[in-house]
Formats: sequence, structure tokens, C-alpha cells
Amino acid sequence: MPRRIIIIGAGQAGRRCAETLRELDSAAEIMIFGAEAHMPYDRPPLSKAVLLGKEPGTALFVRPAEFYADRRIALFLDEAVTRVAPDKKRIETAKGRNLTYDALVFATGAKARRLVVPGADDPRVMLLRNLDDALALRARLVEKPRLAVIGGGLIGLEIAASAQQLGCVVNVLEAGERLMARGLPASISARMAALHQQHGVRLHLGARLDRIESTTQELTLYRADGCLAVDLVLVGIGAAPETALAEAAGLTVADGIITDRAGRTSLPDIYAAGEVARFPHPMNTEISTRQESWQVAQQQPISVAHAIMGHDRPYDEVPWHWTDQYDCNLQVLGEPSDALHQIERAEGERLTLLACDSDGRLCGAALINNGRDATPCRRMITSGKVFDMAVLADTARPLRSFL
Amino acid sequence: MAVWQRVASEEELQPDTPFATRIGEAQLAIIRLADGIFAVNDVCSHEYALLSEGFCEDGKLECPLHQACFDIRTGQALSAPATTAIATYPVKCENGDVFVMI
Repeated sequence: MPRRIIIIGAGQAGRRCAETLRELDSAAEIMIFGAEAHMPYDRPPLSKAVLLGKEPGTALFVRPAEFYADRRIALFLDEAVTRVAPDKKRIETAKGRNLTYDALVFATGAKARRLVVPGADDPRVMLLRNLDDALALRARLVEKPRLAVIGGGLIGLEIAASAQQLGCVVNVLEAGERLMARGLPASISARMAALHQQHGVRLHLGARLDRIESTTQELTLYRADGCLAVDLVLVGIGAAPETALAEAAGLTVADGIITDRAGRTSLPDIYAAGEVARFPHPMNTEISTRQESWQVAQQQPISVAHAIMGHDRPYDEVPWHWTDQYDCNLQVLGEPSDALHQIERAEGERLTLLACDSDGRLCGAALINNGRDATPCRRMITSGKVFDMAVLADTARPLRSFL
Repeated sequence: MAVWQRVASEEELQPDTPFATRIGEAQLAIIRLADGIFAVNDVCSHEYALLSEGFCEDGKLECPLHQACFDIRTGQALSAPATTAIATYPVKCENGDVFVMI
């Protein structure tokens, strides 16, 4: 059994790995190093409760400080790991600490992609990735600026919804032709667009930004077909895995640290947990996937901790993520792409969209304000069963009756 | 002081189908299980959501927003993201009516 386990990254994945390790082994020394000064927190509230100034309760800092002390999980905060030497099984930190490990976990997460157009270096062009970013953004949003959100993906739209609720004038500029195009069918994009428009958000689709010009008063966003003057810009154009340290250490990296189904990397005794890991897709192990979701940070590190302790427990969850915008909860399971047969089960404001392959196997689902269908959908996807698509559309039959 | 309050008739309660009701400020979910009828606070302890709108099975109630699971009999939080229990209330049935002590 490993005597000392070092976890690089004090986010949700690092925390989950540490607490699972402690459940499995009462003796091992467990150390977490985090570049931020904060205790481990979950990120979903950053673009919602934190921006709105609501008390996020335990949704943000899930565990109090005593939790770590009671379990002898040593937190080294505001202390980034700067070098990993796999041949010597040794790490170095920004505070000059030099330590050996028996097992090492990269839980380094991802960083927000920056906008690369002239003028994007203005301090009024902001990103949202961590708690300090969220607090800085909130401090600006309460002044009710004219805001441009660059990127109509999940994060951009959550921020747009929060900013609108704070009384800002909100524009969303999306380079593609529809919102949240990644992994969602066009009909759901259209519903989300209508939701934002009902709340007064101005959507600019197909809007590719050329440059930003700034004066002390305002920022002007130029694109081929016009310009837009605002006070603040928020860039939400996705995230890239934080792999620099892993690459320098010689791990195999390709848009994420390559791992097996339990987080084992290309080098012995080194693991990757959470959204930095690229692993075989749970629904099709012939392809790899890297997922940025609460689910992967919550569940995949359990598999990693088991692997470290010598137990094989592959991560095989059907991909699932959610977004909350205004009073709308959207959940996505599996991959409900446009290429599949779409079956809509609508009941008033609630919708369950099922996406089946040509044989009638459920491959994905999107639920709007209909979370009670999530568990039945997940089971229907994992079952691999062939369903009669005409019968699936019958809302008189609850989904659980198909299991 | 807590008193018995009528919340439903027994025949309104179908197995595994939560019944949502409100008594004063309190929002309750009343659930019929194989071994009786139970009452819990309907609001998820993680973020605001009505548990009665979630999936119900095997004595567990699942939050429709983020899938946290609660034990209907004890109120205990069984899975993340919730970490705190929800309140439970005594239930009695008389002459086909369901009463909750609240």
C-alpha cells in the first residue's frame, strides 16, 4: 500500500480523491497541494449563486476545515506544485518544499480559454474560472454595466442569466449559428435562445469578433457586420486542460492526460483525476473523452482512489451535466446529438427529449425542468435495450414503465 | 406547538408518487411506501428545489435538479451533492385521512 499520496490540485476532484483514499486506507499520508488560497470548493455556484450574491451554503465549500483535519488530509493551499520528477518520485512546490511520493495524482483541472483578438488584454475583458474571478466579476456586475458575453455555451449563458437578474444590459455574442451547440440538438438550443430573449438578453448569433477598441468610457466590439459598445466583456469560450506540469513530467498528453478507465496514466504510480483526465468513453470505449462536469469531478476520482489502493473499479457513468438559467433547469444525459432520432415528450413547461439510434436504443436525453426523468433515462441508456420509438412518445406512460 | 394537520386523503396517495402540500410556511412531500405513509420537508437541503418533483423509488427521493438522494423514512442525505438531512414529520391515518404532526 502506498504510504504517501500527493494530490496536485485542491478542487472538487482532488478533494473527492483524498476523501475516498481515506475511506479505503486509514494509515496513508494524504497531501493536497492547491495553487489557490481557498479550501476545496465546487464550481457550479460560481456562475450563479456567487454572482447573484446568494448564500451558496454547502454547495460551494462542501466540507468544513475540520473535515480535513479529522481525516488527516493535509491541505497545502496557495502552494502550487512546480515540478514533478517521476524517475525520483519527487515533487517540488512554489514554496520550496521537496517531497517524495508513493502515488501522485494530477487533479489540475482546466483553465478558461482566452480571447485572442486585438484589444482583448483590456482589464475590462474578464474570465470566469475560479472563486476570485467570480467575486471580481460580481463586484463589476452590481454596477449594472452594459455587458457583452462572448460565447453562447453553458458558462456564458449562466453568466448572462445571472447578469440579467442583477439588472445589467446583457448581450451574448456567439460565433456559431446556435447556442450550446456542443452536444445538444438544435431544438433545445432554440428553446434556450427563446428563454434568454424573453428575459431581455440580446443574442447575436454568427457573431465573430474582429477586435476590441477601448476608451476610458467604454469598449467597442467590432465584427464584420457592425459594432457594439459596452462597459464590460466576459469571455466564456470554453476551457483547456491544465496539463503543462504533466507534459513537463513526461506523461502522455493529448487534450488531457491520457488515462485508462481508472485514471492510471502512462507512467507508473501517477494518476489523473477529474476534468484534466482523458479516458475511454463509458458508452464507447473505442473513443476517448474528457469531460468538464460536476459528475466527472465527483465520481471519477473514486475510481482513481481505488486504483491507487490496488482495486480495479473502472469509471463507467453515463455522462451527465446540468445547467440552471433563470428558473430553467436543463439536464443532459449521454449524447443526444442531432444525428439521432428525436422523440419529444412534452408536458406543459416540462420536456424530455429522447435521442435514439435507428434501432431504437436510447443514446442520450435532454430534460427541461423534468429532472424526475433523469434516473429512468440513465437506466434506459445503460440497458442498451431496443425501444419502440412510437411508444416512447406516449406521455401517458411514465418513462419508468419502460424499464 | 406542533399539532396534527390533515394533508391528504389516503386514496390520493399512490405508491412512489410524492404528493406536495403546504402547511403555513412549510412545504411537505407526503409519500406512500410499502410499510406506510411518510412526510418529509419537500425542499432539497442543497439548493432550492422541490423533491416531490423528483424520482421516487425504494424508499428514496431524488432531487430533480442535481440528483441528491434522501431516505424518505429518516430524511438522511444519501448522496452528493446534498450533505444535510431533510426534516421528517410524524404521520397518522384516521378514517381515510392523512395527518402530519407539524
